[in-house]
Amino acid sequence: MRKGMGKLSRFLPAAYFWLVILYLLFPIVIVLPISFSNNPFLRFPPSNFGVLWYETYFSDPVWVAATVLSFKVALTASLLATVIGTMAVLVLERRQVPLKAAVTYFITSPIIIPHIFIALGVFILAVRLGLEDNALTLAGAHATIAIPFVVLIVGAAHRQLDPTFERAARVLGAGPVRAFFSAAFPSLLPGIAAAAVFAFFVSFDELIIAEFLMGEQETLPMRIWADLRLELRPTIAAVSSLLITITTLGMALSEILRRRGANLNDD
Amino acid sequence: MLWPALVMLVAFFLLPTLDIVRSSVFDPDLTGRHFERVFTRAIYLDVFWRTIRVSLIVAAVCAVVAYPVAYYIVQRPRRRQFLFLFLVFVPLWMSVLIRSYAWMVVLGREGLVNAALMGLGLTDAPVKMLFTTGAVYVAMVQILLPIQIVTCYSAMSEIDLDLMRAARVLGAGPWQAVRRVFLPLSLDGTITGAIIVFMLSMGFFITPALVGGRRDLMLANLIELQVNQLNWGFAAAIALVLMAGTVACVAAIKWLSRRLVRALSGGGAP
Repeated sequence: MRKGMGKLSRFLPAAYFWLVILYLLFPIVIVLPISFSNNPFLRFPPSNFGVLWYETYFSDPVWVAATVLSFKVALTASLLATVIGTMAVLVLERRQVPLKAAVTYFITSPIIIPHIFIALGVFILAVRLGLEDNALTLAGAHATIAIPFVVLIVGAAHRQLDPTFERAARVLGAGPVRAFFSAAFPSLLPGIAAAAVFAFFVSFDELIIAEFLMGEQETLPMRIWADLRLELRPTIAAVSSLLITITTLGMALSEILRRRGANLNDD
Repeated sequence: MLWPALVMLVAFFLLPTLDIVRSSVFDPDLTGRHFERVFTRAIYLDVFWRTIRVSLIVAAVCAVVAYPVAYYIVQRPRRRQFLFLFLVFVPLWMSVLIRSYAWMVVLGREGLVNAALMGLGLTDAPVKMLFTTGAVYVAMVQILLPIQIVTCYSAMSEIDLDLMRAARVLGAGPWQAVRRVFLPLSLDGTITGAIIVFMLSMGFFITPALVGGRRDLMLANLIELQVNQLNWGFAAAIALVLMAGTVACVAAIKWLSRRLVRALSGGGAP
C-alpha cells in the first residue's frame, strides 16, 4: 500500500509536468504536418501530401517582398539594438552613473509597455514629422523595444566576467581599450551574439508597430495578419512552419552561445 | 556610451508617449471629450472591464498552473533542469501571431479537436470552439504560461533547499515545511511573474482578434479600430486609460500580495 502511494506521488507530478509541456508545444508542432498537405483548405486529418503551399509562398512576389522587407528591418534593428545596448551595458556596469537605477529602469521599461501603446505613440509622432511608411523609422522603433533584452542578456554575461584577466592585461601594459578588447570582449561575445539573435526575432515577429507605421510596404507579420483575417489558407501553414523551424534553430543557437559564454567564465 | 540608448528611448518611447498625451487632450483645442467618451459609453466601459477581467483571470490561471511545473523542474538534477527549461522556452520564442494561428488550426470547425471528436463518434456536428471566449483563455494562457514558469523557476532556484530539511529536522511535517518555508519564499517570484503576465495580457491584441468572437475584443483591439477610423485623439485616450488601468491594478496586486505573504509566513499553529 505504502509502496503504491510512493509510486503515485512520483508519477503524478511527472504526468502533470508532461501534460503542461504537451499543452505548450502541441499546437505549434501540429502546424508542421498541415503545411505539407496539398488541400486548398485547412482540414484534419491532412491528406494529399506535397509541397504545394511552399511553392505558392516562394513564387508569390507579395510574400517574397514582405519576407525580404522583414529581413532588412530585423537586421537593421538587431544591429542597432545590439551595438547601442552593449555600449549602455558597458557604461552601466563599469562606471559610476548618477541615478543608475533610474536610468536602467528607463532603458529597460519598454519590456513591460504594451506594444500597442508604443505603436500608437510612434505612429502619431511619425505622421507629424512626415516619417511614417519608412522602413528606417520602423527599424528604430523595433530596436528600441529590443534594447531592453540586449541590456538584460549582455548585462548578465558581463556580471559573469572575471575582472582579473582585464586587470592582468592592464598590469602587463595594455591601455584600457586594448585590455577590454583582448581580455574581456572575447568572453562577452557569446552573450552579445545571443542578444543579437534575440533582438532579430523581436523585430522579425513584431506586428502592431509595423501595422500602424507602414502603408505601402508590408512586413511578413503584416502579410500573415492580412491573410489570416481574410481566409485560412495553408500558405500560412507553410510560412508558419518555416518560421517555427528558423526561430527554433536561431534561438537554440543563441541559447547554446549564451550557455557556452557562461561556462567559459566558470572555468 | 550611454547616450545612444537614451536618444533611442527618448525618440521612440518618451516623445511618442508625450504625443499620445497631447493628442488625447488637444483636438485641436484643449478638450476632455475623448476621455468623457471612454467613461460614459457603456460599450467602451464594457471593453475596459473585460480587458481587466480577462487579464486577471489569465494571470491567476498561469500562476496556479505554473507553480507545480516550476517546483517539479527545480527538484530535478541540474542537467535535467536545463533540458526541461528548454522545452518551456521553445514556445516562448515563437511569435504570438504563429501561436494564435496554431490555435485556429486546432480549434477550428474542421480543426484537429473537432476531427478527433467526430472520429471518436462523440459528436455528429462540429462543436463551435473557435471565436469563443473560452478559446481566448486557452490560447492566452498557453502563450503567457512559459513566462510565468520561468519567473517562478528562477525564484525557486534561489531557495536553499536545506532550509526545508532544517524545518523537517526541527519537527515540521512535509506539508508544513512547504507551507511555512518554501511557499513564503517562492511566493515573491510567483507574484512577480503574475504581474508580468497581467501587464502583457492587458495589451493583448492579436489573440483576441484571431481566436475570440466579436464580444471578446480588448482595449488594444479598440485602439486599432479607432486608428483605422482615423480617430487618433480617441485612440490616444483609450491608450492612456489602458496604461492607467494597468498601473492601478498592479499596485492593487502588490498591496494584496504583501498582505498574503505576511499572513502565510506568520500566524497559524506551530
